[in-house]
Amino acid sequence: MTSTEKQDTAKGQGKLASAASSEVMIQLTKVNKWYGDFHVLKDIDLTVHKGERIVVCGPSGSGKSTLIRCINHLEEHQEGLIVVDGITLDKNLKNIDHIRTEVGMVFQSFNLFPHLTILENLTLGPIWTRKMPKTEAQAIAMKYLERVKIPEQADKFPGQLSGGQQQRVAIARSLCMSPKIMLFDEPTSALDPEMIKEVLDVMVELADTGMTMIVVTHEMGFAKTIADRVIFMDEGDIVEENEPNAFFNNPQHERTKLFLSQIL
Amino acid sequence: MAIISAQKTPARPAPLSDTTVIGWLRINLFSSWINVILTVVSLYIIFVAVKGIWVWGIQDAVWSAETRRECFKISKDGACWAGVLNWMDSIFYGRYPREELWRINIGGLLLVLWMAPLWLPRVKGKVFIGLTTVFLYPFLAGYFFSGGEKGIFMQIMISAAIVCLAANTLHSALGVFANSSLSEFLIRVTGTGKASEKTQRNMLIGLLALALVAVFLWQMSWHLESVTWTKWGGLFLTLVISGIGIASALPGGIILALGRRSKLPVIKVISTTFIELFRSVPLITVLFMATTMFPLFMPDGFVLNKLVQVIIAVCLFNACYMAEVVRAGLQAIPKGQAEGAHTIGLGYWGTMGLIIMPQALKVMIPNIVGSFIGILKDTTLVSIIGLFDILGMLRAISEDVFWRGLHHEPLLFGAGLFFIICFVMSKYSRHLEAKLSTDHKD
Repeated sequence: MTSTEKQDTAKGQGKLASAASSEVMIQLTKVNKWYGDFHVLKDIDLTVHKGERIVVCGPSGSGKSTLIRCINHLEEHQEGLIVVDGITLDKNLKNIDHIRTEVGMVFQSFNLFPHLTILENLTLGPIWTRKMPKTEAQAIAMKYLERVKIPEQADKFPGQLSGGQQQRVAIARSLCMSPKIMLFDEPTSALDPEMIKEVLDVMVELADTGMTMIVVTHEMGFAKTIADRVIFMDEGDIVEENEPNAFFNNPQHERTKLFLSQIL
Repeated sequence: MAIISAQKTPARPAPLSDTTVIGWLRINLFSSWINVILTVVSLYIIFVAVKGIWVWGIQDAVWSAETRRECFKISKDGACWAGVLNWMDSIFYGRYPREELWRINIGGLLLVLWMAPLWLPRVKGKVFIGLTTVFLYPFLAGYFFSGGEKGIFMQIMISAAIVCLAANTLHSALGVFANSSLSEFLIRVTGTGKASEKTQRNMLIGLLALALVAVFLWQMSWHLESVTWTKWGGLFLTLVISGIGIASALPGGIILALGRRSKLPVIKVISTTFIELFRSVPLITVLFMATTMFPLFMPDGFVLNKLVQVIIAVCLFNACYMAEVVRAGLQAIPKGQAEGAHTIGLGYWGTMGLIIMPQALKVMIPNIVGSFIGILKDTTLVSIIGLFDILGMLRAISEDVFWRGLHHEPLLFGAGLFFIICFVMSKYSRHLEAKLSTDHKD
């Protein structure tokens, strides 16, 4: 699928109405992070409201993945303040575990558990961290598998599924924890072109339900469809932040213009 | 220019060489004159070797005689298996009193009975069965093997072991034949099916306590003759030492490997030092240290018997080797797996126990079984520090008055025995690998 075609799909689906409210879900204040001497995140300030859908883009190495990985503490930030759902991320392991149950995450490489069946992948979190009875967890899992349109794969192992199906299972796995926030780290970058659409469709449906979402992606058509705000990052800075129409049609910053001209 | 295939190509049979024996022979053994010569020469060499072994080991061999001299009289050039046969009990049991051998056999049978459910497909709760095998069986077996006076702690553990074994066996039988579990069965029998969950639990705990008391009173009347460890020997001793070594190596190795990868500096340094220390010293040195140096550091009056010292040394040594196997397995699991586990809220132990370890252990099966085989074979080193394990007994035959100088046959027999045990283990590991494989790569 070429980028023009993608834009067409986006237009066809039309712009989703924003579900954003005034309640603050994620608040980043002056966040800094270094890998050794390399300064990955530089004084990042970001506020995400409940129901808001944010797309983060930027060249590789710009710190966009690191940014969202800091939000559920897969990466540790050295300076600044991150508050998620009213809880401050610090060294307190209990807070971290709690935040992780509220924040779902989907990875580029799926990270399904290959030794468990699809159903077991989905019920593991609810059973072990939410202490849910097995039958109830399975019912919820089947509900979400139906929502991502692969209930018939429940008893297979991840290795038997296509990439697109695996990624949809990964989304369902996160949803089974009934998270308040979903983070997506380049969810379609490892997929074949014909599978990208099936995953994006599921994500658009999810956006429709009013989920707070932060999506790192290069799918600009998708960004136009769902985003309330698009953030462009480069070399650890948030260079430009705008609502999608203005962002794509009238980029302000030189680096944004250069980036958009390269990928569109 | 466009190319359009007019019709579908029909499937043809594979070339003969891939499907018939003669085709295979022609391609692999007789494809050129040089190969024909090589094949014929190789066949001749194999024939000569096999014939020699056949004539010496079977055709001219002596199977029954009272002394080696008698063997010679009957057949000068044949093997004297009579010596091995006469010593068979000693090879298997060492100097264990002959009238008490049933205790060792019962101990072995109990282990089989205990572990058999692990291989039955319809039995549930295998983790529990496995854990009780490791933590309770040794007390029961230990009492059977050594006998003598038993302290109150020992009595409690023996009772617990017997109750557990009975429960496991009943549970497994119910699982196989009636497809139900022991608790379901008891609830049905006592007619508490409609009672609340709490009543059912209390009833089960009550039954358990009752069984424990009954068995405790029963076992108080048992009196087994004391057999000191110095009389233990042969294959029995080898299996005791290596069995304990094998059973403890994996848990010990996992703990040490996790310690080595820990983010807490103290634990990391201690584990790393421990592992490197034991790995840089040969087992035989560790054994000498354990039996001669270790007692010097102990306070006066604190005496451990030599066998216990040897077992501790074997356990520590193998745990350190296993730790590195486990660490390699842990490193083979991509970092994303842990991250995936974290995002569904699993903490360190949940991630390790449910996600990382099951996958890592599966990857490690060939190495783990390799280590187990190594442990079994390394155990023969204890014969050097004066324990009469199987190797010690095999060599003792040549020092017997009647069988003086009989070296080859006992050692060959021992080699055969080891081969059988190790080959079965290795085959089983291949089977396990295939059974547990879920990656569907092919």
